[in-house]
Amino acid sequence: MRTTNSLRNFNVRDKGAAIWSGWNRLQRTSFGIAMILLAGALPFAGNYSFSNFLNTPISNFADVLIYPVGMFVLMSLGLNIVVGKSGMLDLGYVAFFAIGAYTMAICGKWTHLNTWEILPLGIAFAMIAGVLLGIPTLRLRGDYLAIVTMGFGEIVRITALNTQKIGGPNGMANVPNPPSIHTPLGVLDFNIMTPNSFYWFVLVLILLTIWMIRRLSVRRPGRAWEAIRQDEDAAELMGVPTLKYKIWSFTLGAGVGGAAGVVYASKTLYISPDAFTFNISVLILSCVVFGGIGNIWGVVLGGVFLAYLPERIRFISNARQLVFGLTLVIIMNFRPDGILPRKKREKLSSPAIETGAK
Amino acid sequence: MSERILELTGLTKKFGGVTALNEVNLHVNKQEILALIGPNGAGKTTVFNMITGVYQPTSGEITFKGKSLVGKKRFTITQSGVARTFQNIRLWGDMTALENVITATDVHSKAGLVGALFGSIRSRKTEKAARAKAHEILEFIGIAEYEDRLAKNLPYGVQRRLEIARAMGTGADLLLLDEPAAGFNPAEKVELANTIKRIRDAGYTVLLIEHDMSLIMGISDRVVVLDFGVKIADDLPSVVQNDPKVIEAYLGAPADESGN
Amino acid sequence: MHTLISQFWQLTFSGAVQGFIYILISLGYTMVYGVLRMINFANSEIFMVGTFATIVVSRDILGHQPNSGDLHGFTLIYSMLFCLIASMLASGVTAVIVELVAYRRLRSRGTNRLAPLISAIGMSIVLSESVSLLTAGRATIAPEMLHKSSLFTILGANIRVDQLLVFIVAPIMFFGLQRFVNHTRLGKGIRAVSMNEETAKLMGVNLNRVISITFLIGGLMTGAAAFFFETVYEATKFNIGFNIGIAAFTAAVLGGIGNIRGAFVGGLTLGLLETYASAVLGSQWKAITVFIVLVLVLLVRPNGLFGEAIQQSRV
Ligand SMILES: Nc1ncnc2c1ncn2[C@@H]1O[C@H](COP(=O)(O)OP(=O)(O)OP(=O)(O)O)[C@@H](O)[C@H]1O
Ligand SMILES: [Mg+2]
Repeated sequence: MRTTNSLRNFNVRDKGAAIWSGWNRLQRTSFGIAMILLAGALPFAGNYSFSNFLNTPISNFADVLIYPVGMFVLMSLGLNIVVGKSGMLDLGYVAFFAIGAYTMAICGKWTHLNTWEILPLGIAFAMIAGVLLGIPTLRLRGDYLAIVTMGFGEIVRITALNTQKIGGPNGMANVPNPPSIHTPLGVLDFNIMTPNSFYWFVLVLILLTIWMIRRLSVRRPGRAWEAIRQDEDAAELMGVPTLKYKIWSFTLGAGVGGAAGVVYASKTLYISPDAFTFNISVLILSCVVFGGIGNIWGVVLGGVFLAYLPERIRFISNARQLVFGLTLVIIMNFRPDGILPRKKREKLSSPAIETGAK
Repeated sequence: MSERILELTGLTKKFGGVTALNEVNLHVNKQEILALIGPNGAGKTTVFNMITGVYQPTSGEITFKGKSLVGKKRFTITQSGVARTFQNIRLWGDMTALENVITATDVHSKAGLVGALFGSIRSRKTEKAARAKAHEILEFIGIAEYEDRLAKNLPYGVQRRLEIARAMGTGADLLLLDEPAAGFNPAEKVELANTIKRIRDAGYTVLLIEHDMSLIMGISDRVVVLDFGVKIADDLPSVVQNDPKVIEAYLGAPADESGN
Repeated sequence: MHTLISQFWQLTFSGAVQGFIYILISLGYTMVYGVLRMINFANSEIFMVGTFATIVVSRDILGHQPNSGDLHGFTLIYSMLFCLIASMLASGVTAVIVELVAYRRLRSRGTNRLAPLISAIGMSIVLSESVSLLTAGRATIAPEMLHKSSLFTILGANIRVDQLLVFIVAPIMFFGLQRFVNHTRLGKGIRAVSMNEETAKLMGVNLNRVISITFLIGGLMTGAAAFFFETVYEATKFNIGFNIGIAAFTAAVLGGIGNIRGAFVGGLTLGLLETYASAVLGSQWKAITVFIVLVLVLLVRPNGLFGEAIQQSRV
């Protein structure tokens, strides 16, 4: 009893938040920039003796940083909008990833569009799928949504598997890489020899997603989601158009998944239905749950940790799915808010808790 | 003065075999405090549930400001100007008191998702205005000192009052208060009675469910009594108090007045 | 389309057999939903465990081999009974464990609705992945106990002995269960909890016990379904439960989840629909048919055909 309590009360987030709130604008900005630079420099870590313990035994470290690490973080952030912000369980998140990836593959091969042009398309298609799936299902109670989305994830995969035009079980090869970008600092190429540029691309998408979530969280949509998550009936009765906000949340999450899919296809050059199984949905959910449902930094941590660990430690990579399943059970039972729980702070200036009337 | 803001006609609700409300007619005048009383299980909360769209009436009509509320979506009913509190407190526990009220004020906000994302001037303005309005309401109710505390950590009495503040936050004209004084001690009840009067004087109309007779007699303009889903009295407090039918209804269930 | 018409009765018979299997599995969803108002997410893996139990018993305990030829007479009967019971027990016990590990703790804490769902999903992954590691992710073949001979033909439909067995025994089990729920003390406890947990508690029903027993019964029925499935299909795999689970869940929703009689109609309807659709579209689209049925039902008639069960939340 005691140990569980202290485990539950131990809250890194509050410590961090306390330090953060003590800082002024300049300190915060410089810290943010430093962190971004550090994240940007990560691919080089494998090259230096003080940091090469990070190296992964099987795959190239920079590649691991893109897939799974970067991709998982990105998708976890996207899924977190659905699961963490508005409290809806989406078990078919991989579908949006697949839609993004197939959009990239199809448009990249059969049209003259390049990755940068396809990216918004992939996002749009994923979002449209999100709306179409959301309208009939989001009225339903949470557990129905879970099963329907789980089915949807499979449907997308099975459709790809059975559609010979897009390769059927063989998938699609020769997906084009993104064209080079000319920056003031030099040309950024995207090909098999330049994992770093892909990594930075993913990093930019991650930062954009974080920006979007943070922005929305403190405004009307964020409050509506929060109200829906905590008590949907009360939200509806207090005038929140709950269906509309649920669809928004679902759709934004889908869009992030679509973006991830485009990058993935454009990086790996080859996609097949095997890459889009239910397992991926579960994996992403584990990342969200492990790090801390609803808390951006928790989710990032969960994504990094659960994606990286199996790559670093071979033993885990065989039993990867099992570990994720166990993670879900254990975290839910003993630390349901995850490693870094969402905000539960109050300002210290408020009056001390009195013993209420009852 | 006696402009009718809400009117229920022939309102009936059946839950399976149970008739929770039977052909109830009642109206609420603008800017009055109408008390709805009756023994446990009389159907008082069910009246609120019908008005706010939680359940659809089996038959009957509900008109608010001349328009029917039957079949409307719950959130549109609130947007049209009716808001309620809950007998069993239903605050958003992990939000602060202020956030609870701001979320309610969003009802009439025009700020959309895109505006929120790109920090449009309108969105920023509405944010500020919402915050100010929410704060003002908390001051009015007298719980502004708690605004940064999480709702779930607030003392019970403050939670009850926060429910009222949240309902006011929606910008409603008609407030439906479901046993707002439940669990209060006499001093708190007096204070709450004053607050409700001030709310009425500020231009709101109040439909109030309450068990405490002295509180009702003190503040209500009219009293409607329900018993087993049937309206048995509708008159001035002093008249209702001496109505033999009402006394009988309550004597039939003596546990009531001492209860909570 | 042509096959559908020319083989209509054949398809109807196989569809009904498939439907009866769904009915038994969907009881695992429907009964648990009745008492918990939550989906028993791990039921698909409870089914999977049953299929493996059937195989392990017949192959490793009774020593039958996939190629050792079919059985006759007394050996056949006791082998089948033994496997049926083993499958039911294995699934039943797994269901009880699932409840203990994934639901009980969180239910008593009872704040976050997502938590029990997620932990149940975790539990189902743990089950299927453990089996996947044990079997190296490969399919496992069951020994053929019952020779799949055709008994007779009605309306052009070949009636196979294994299918006929399911056709007869599964409904008997279903109606037995229904009688149990309607007429025994325990069954009444389950119904009391389904109707109103609070009242049931006040009436002195031991909630934890009733919930455990509900999981157990749901598991037993799912286990029986697993045995029938093996009798007909004779193979299994760690992820066998996935699509079958969704189908059985759809059947439960179709009939009105929480409603036992509904499960019967839902399962049968789905089994038939799925079989007809496969004949027309090809069997690779079976899962999609099921999904579309699920979404349509939820869209048009979310409470299912008989659905009084899903209550609106009380305010
Ligand atoms: N959702 C429901 N399903 C079935 N019966 C209901 C439902 N809601 C209310 N009832 C029944 O309707 C009747 C009236 O209930 P209601 O809650 O309106 O009473 P009340 O007057 O508010 O009582 P109290 O003073 O205890 O709050 C009761 O018999 C109750 O059991
Ligand atoms: Mg009431």
